[in-house]
Amino acid sequence: MNIFYFRCLLIALFFMMQGCSVAPWERGNLAKKNMAITVNSGLSALRDHAFTSKEASQGGFGGSGGGCGCN
Amino acid sequence: MRKIILISLLFVTNFIVKADLLGQTVPPCPAKMQGMAQNIDFKEYKGKVVLIDFWATWCPPCKQSMPFLNTLRNELLPQGFEIVAINVDEDKEQALRFLQTYPVDYEVAYDGTGGCPQKFDVQAMPSSYFVDRNGHVRSIHLGYRDSDQKFIRDQITKLLSEK
Repeated sequence: MNIFYFRCLLIALFFMMQGCSVAPWERGNLAKKNMAITVNSGLSALRDHAFTSKEASQGGFGGSGGGCGCN
Repeated sequence: MRKIILISLLFVTNFIVKADLLGQTVPPCPAKMQGMAQNIDFKEYKGKVVLIDFWATWCPPCKQSMPFLNTLRNELLPQGFEIVAINVDEDKEQALRFLQTYPVDYEVAYDGTGGCPQKFDVQAMPSSYFVDRNGHVRSIHLGYRDSDQKFIRDQITKLLSEK
C-alpha cells in the first residue's frame, strides 16, 4: 500500500475513534457536585455561591454544572 | 494536492451527519407515562399543538422552565395546546420525587434508556420540539432562559393560529 494512503487511513481512524463523547441526556452523573474537577467540591460550591451573591461573578472554582452547554 | 487531501480528510472524518427532524412527523419512541405499560403514542395528539420537552432533574435550566411551561400550558389548553415532557433521568425515582415537590399539570413521560432523545437527536438540555396540529415538528428550541419565553409563546401562538 502506498505510504501516503496508509497515513491518510491512520489519520482518519484517529479522528473516528472519538470514544469519549457524552450525549446531552447522559450528563446526570457529570452534573453531580462531586464530579467537579477540584480537590474540595463542597468548598468550591460554597465559594461559588458566595461570589455569585457578593461579587456578582461566578465560576473559576471548578464548580459542577448542569452539563447542558446551552446556558 | 496531497496536503489538500489530508486536510479534507481531517474535516470529513470529524463530522457526523445528523437526521433533521424539522418538517418530519414525530418519531415513535420508548417513553412511558407513569403507570402505563405501553409507549407513548404521539398520534393521539393529532389536532393539537404539542410542545415536547426533554428535561432532567440534574439540569437547572430544565427545572427553571417548568413553572413557565405549566402556566403557558394551562393558559393555552382551551385553544388546543398540550405539553408532553419526557424525563431522561436514569433514575426515574428522582424525577418522581421532584414532581411530588414541584408538580406540573402537563403530561410527563419517562425514558431512562436514552431511546427517545436519540430518536429526536437531542442536542442540549432542555430541548423543546414544537409540533403542529398535523403532527409535524415545526421548530426546535435548545436550552432555556427567561428571555426565551417570548420566543416559545410566539411559536406556539403561531402554530395554534394555523388550521
